[in-house]
Amino acid sequence: MEEVKVGVFLSDCGGQIAKILDFEALTNFVKTVPGVTLVARGSEFWRGQGLQTIVDAVKTKKINRVVVAEAVPKISEVAVAKAVEAAGLNPHLVEVLDLKDHCAWPHRDTPKEATEKAKAMLLAAIEKAKLLEPIEKAEFPAVKSVLVIGGGIAGMQAAEDLADMGFQVYLVEKEPFLGGLAAKAVRFFPTDDCAICIQSPKDLAAVTQTSRKCVYRSGFSEIPNLNILTNAKIVKVEGSPGNFRVTVERKPRYVDEKKCVACDLCTIVCPVEVLDEYNAKLSKRKAIYINKPLVYPPAYVIDAKACKFHECAKCVEVCPTKAINLDQKTEQVTLNVGSIIVATGFREYDPSVIKEYHYGEYSDVVTHLELARMLDAFGPTGGVPIKPSDGQPAKRIVFVQCVGSRDRRWNPYCSSICCMISLKHATMIKEAFPDADVTICYIDIRTTGREHEYYYERARDMGVKFVKGRPSEIVHDPATNTLIVEVEDELLRRLLELEADLVVLATAMVPSEDAKELAQMLGIELDQDGFFKEYNAKLRPTETKRRGIFICGGAVFPKDAPTTSLHAHSAAVKAAKFLMNGKIVKDLKVAVVNQDYCGNCQFCPVTCPYGAITLEPKGDGHFAAKVSEILCEGCGVCVGTCPVGAIELRHLKPSQISAQIKALLSINGTSKPLVLAFSCSECGHAAVDSSGMAMMNYPANVRVLRVPCTGVIQVQHILEAFRAGAQGVMVVGCKPDGCHYEVGSQKAKQKVEMAKRLLQAYGIEPERLEMFNLVFIEGDKFAEAAKTMTEKVEKLGPLQLA
Amino acid sequence: MTSYALFLGCTIPARQPHYELAARKALTKLGIELVDLEGATCCAPPPIQSIDLETSLAIAAYNICLAEEADLNILTLCTGCFESLTIANRLLKENRELREKINKILSNAGKEFKGTKEVKHYLQVLMDDVGVNHLKQNVVKPLNNLNVAAFSGCHLLRPSELLRFDDPERPRIFDTLIEVLGAKSIPYKNKLRCCGGLLRGYADDIALAIARDKIVNAYNAGADCISTLCPFCFLTLDLGQMLIKTTYKEEYNLPIIHYAELLSLSIGVEPKELALDFHKIKVDKVLEKIG
Amino acid sequence: MTEEKPLDFTREITSRLGGETITHCYQCGTCASTCPVARTTERYNPRQLIRLALLGQRDEVLKGDTIWLCASCYNCQERCPQKVEVADVIYALRNMAIREGNVPAIYMEFATGLMSEGRLAPISKFLEKKRTEYGLPPLKPANVEALKIILAATGFDKIMFKKEGASP
Repeated sequence: MEEVKVGVFLSDCGGQIAKILDFEALTNFVKTVPGVTLVARGSEFWRGQGLQTIVDAVKTKKINRVVVAEAVPKISEVAVAKAVEAAGLNPHLVEVLDLKDHCAWPHRDTPKEATEKAKAMLLAAIEKAKLLEPIEKAEFPAVKSVLVIGGGIAGMQAAEDLADMGFQVYLVEKEPFLGGLAAKAVRFFPTDDCAICIQSPKDLAAVTQTSRKCVYRSGFSEIPNLNILTNAKIVKVEGSPGNFRVTVERKPRYVDEKKCVACDLCTIVCPVEVLDEYNAKLSKRKAIYINKPLVYPPAYVIDAKACKFHECAKCVEVCPTKAINLDQKTEQVTLNVGSIIVATGFREYDPSVIKEYHYGEYSDVVTHLELARMLDAFGPTGGVPIKPSDGQPAKRIVFVQCVGSRDRRWNPYCSSICCMISLKHATMIKEAFPDADVTICYIDIRTTGREHEYYYERARDMGVKFVKGRPSEIVHDPATNTLIVEVEDELLRRLLELEADLVVLATAMVPSEDAKELAQMLGIELDQDGFFKEYNAKLRPTETKRRGIFICGGAVFPKDAPTTSLHAHSAAVKAAKFLMNGKIVKDLKVAVVNQDYCGNCQFCPVTCPYGAITLEPKGDGHFAAKVSEILCEGCGVCVGTCPVGAIELRHLKPSQISAQIKALLSINGTSKPLVLAFSCSECGHAAVDSSGMAMMNYPANVRVLRVPCTGVIQVQHILEAFRAGAQGVMVVGCKPDGCHYEVGSQKAKQKVEMAKRLLQAYGIEPERLEMFNLVFIEGDKFAEAAKTMTEKVEKLGPLQLA
Repeated sequence: MTSYALFLGCTIPARQPHYELAARKALTKLGIELVDLEGATCCAPPPIQSIDLETSLAIAAYNICLAEEADLNILTLCTGCFESLTIANRLLKENRELREKINKILSNAGKEFKGTKEVKHYLQVLMDDVGVNHLKQNVVKPLNNLNVAAFSGCHLLRPSELLRFDDPERPRIFDTLIEVLGAKSIPYKNKLRCCGGLLRGYADDIALAIARDKIVNAYNAGADCISTLCPFCFLTLDLGQMLIKTTYKEEYNLPIIHYAELLSLSIGVEPKELALDFHKIKVDKVLEKIG
Repeated sequence: MTEEKPLDFTREITSRLGGETITHCYQCGTCASTCPVARTTERYNPRQLIRLALLGQRDEVLKGDTIWLCASCYNCQERCPQKVEVADVIYALRNMAIREGNVPAIYMEFATGLMSEGRLAPISKFLEKKRTEYGLPPLKPANVEALKIILAATGFDKIMFKKEGASP
């Protein structure tokens, strides 16, 4: 093995921190440390001439490990790593520390103490650097194709984006026609356009030459690279990000899409009539049918539950293109895709569980989607709202908001779009039938989007009545076949009995029925309400914890059409970014398992926030953990969890932690007892940074050791710190629910509690150990914690170790 | 023979012996043995709950302890008793902290709530122990399509989270048991709405107005009688009609009959064996119709 | 508005048995709409009662007669979309009012009956005779002694009859 030669580069930040730290003493100290072959002092080392010094030293083989004391550690780390890599050194052989914000600034009142602490920090960095090992890059194949699950607005938009960008796209829809919930919705707010309008495909500009187009006129199905599979569902997902194998089951359509000319002869002869679920069961359709408005494909489908097949076969006889095949079977297709987008949408909640509203019992109580079918000129009533009980036009219509949503008994959340749907429908009715008596009973009207408030204004102008109050019951008067909505008008403080021909329930929007099954197949999470859970609501709204799998639209939460579009475009961009190079390149900063020690316990596979660990048979009837290199995020929560120390991180080996603990505690230089603070690389370290940036004071006896995530910490690390001379130990991590690796901070808390009990058993005061959960803006709290901890340990007196 | 500790409560034995008489006759005839508990007190219904909820739980628990000691499940006639005892039984069985608190109180009286027994309303006993089919077989004098406005009273159904008696919005049990007797359980407006009984003594005018609604709705729906389970509902609707007569100058003469009485009549108990003279609104019309 | 701080009164209610869920209320009016009493009189509206309580109107809530107008039918509790246990909250408010001396006469009667007979409706000589006539077994007496011990342990006697050891 090549001899280790460490180069140490000390930036004094343009001389600024040299006013506090004695750089001559530091330089002299560093020179005495074995293994150090080069020491340089400069104004800055992360760019310009400074960086060139490092590159030259690497190129001339004077050094093969780099320690940089710099004031902008994260940027420095990236810049130096990049430069040394170009110079031929593995970029992971670099260690960067921050003498400004972590030492000079917070300890500026005690420069001598600060200099001594700086020595300890430099020693720790050097000792760690000496133990650093190269980490290579791995390449994983990424198939440039994407599976989009769900053919509603979200799915169609995302599929189109990706196909336009040149990816092979498979759009899988479980129903026989594309369009999803949206196709039934007649019109959208706030654009007031038809529900089946989509963006025009790029490559078909010659056909469309406009910003948007009806789906069936847009040439959507002709987009190059776009493959549409209707009547199909996902049954199995295997493989890994970049290279999934997905099994899709296609139910028979019994009509060849390529031959059908949609001539309607088959429906004329078909003798079987059933209630049309697509049209809210307000009309009937034949066993062979097509949905209107048509989205795609322009081909009939046979309802297998209703059709008499060979007993009848009249449709086969009349079909002029011989498109009908009654013997078609279910078939399975296997797709090889690099990425998957879930766009399965939402559905209306079944309000029959809210028994006081009698949905399903009184036929004149309907949902919004059912009303939408009535308001559609294509629909069962030709655009007229009727009383389903007797078919007469409904003149008095009452809308009830928040049905099954904002209701702790059913769905606690606000479905977010129902107020606008009611306003849209109320104004549509008033526009077509100005004499209609329309009332909206609401708890709060929520019109938060662009142009949404205008709908509310317009509704009032048109004479829609608003009653603030949630109805307690819908009563049916059989004598007059009228519904009575019982509600308190809170503003009048009067109990009203509103007579209605039709009551429309603005029901909650809930996840699609198959969300749970799909989430399990894909290995992704659902939130407490059953919607697909995003990685981070603010920053990664269309990503999941599983690389390569994206979510968008109503599958994530109920959304209006504009937001759904936006979401879909975002997911498409994320998927494209993931696959665009045809390969996924990743530094192998991952966990590795020592198969000899590992044994059957299952702790790590369960704990890993990314599902990156599986148990593989060892061959002797036992199992050993195996880490997926592509899925592992390198947090080390598994390391902290493993009871036998069988897992370690390639980028933070146990020896490196030990070396840093020893070094940081080898020099005190203050009159106070040494305190070691393990901090995570994210919020914890940011809080330490910000306390320095803001020039907050805390004593120099507090030393910080950075780990990727506090979840990596084991009880033995804490004990080791006490053995090495710490009188107190702090663990500084993210907020329990804000951990960058999901569970690390919570796991660390458990570890701290465990260690406290152990300390007590050894006769050591457990209060010498504390966990702190901080974020960047809480630098003051870090400084405060460091002070308090020091005072507490001082009061306890020297630690007596047997 | 299935045995139960009969929990009579306060009002039935002291004010409505006709209810007790009918219930004892019918249940015994249907093979249910009723054991009177020694020392049972008031169940601590809403008036006592209004004064102090914790005391109410302790009193209810005390009475459940008596049944636990006798190794019997409790059978109640009064829906008020059913509610107080069931709520206490469920809460104390399911909430350890509360159980410990109440047991500390009970220990002064030498009792401990163990949570080993059930509290049942006699309708549940009819459904579960007697069974609808067996009951049907025992009907010797079907009620001849008598139009019965079933009124279970609030505390048989609500709060449903703890009582778990029947679907609170679409109850079926009471109606089923009426129809088994050969009567018709008729729909009427606001069937599940309160009779206002608990406001009697504090706001008699409001109580009466609410009771009147009940009478009017049942009357308008063509009821031959209202059938009750709760002594307070009975009092409110039966005596109430006298008050309606003086206050509103309206006369409905709608008989109010406890279900236990209808049950007795249908399984062969003679009217003279029952204490029907305790009804303010005479029930002759009903007896006439069922023949 | 009185001097009462809303939060103090709210916390007082939520810390009582029955009062825990009052803060769930978002004033939708379902309780008022379903309330048989509110449909009969303007003197009572459960939504407004909860509103007053949440705004800290302690005196108006505890000293008035509104809280005594609930018929305990539990319709509101059954249908509340926020799972406010409305009827139980009103019990909690009544429990507080009693402790502050707002004791309606009828409740004093109930308490007296309970303390002396162990029952709310004492039996009359006439009824005793009637029972014998009907062949009903004699009514077994309540164990008043045990009951008194329990009422002393919960402090019920003091709540109702204030003075130490006082009983009817």
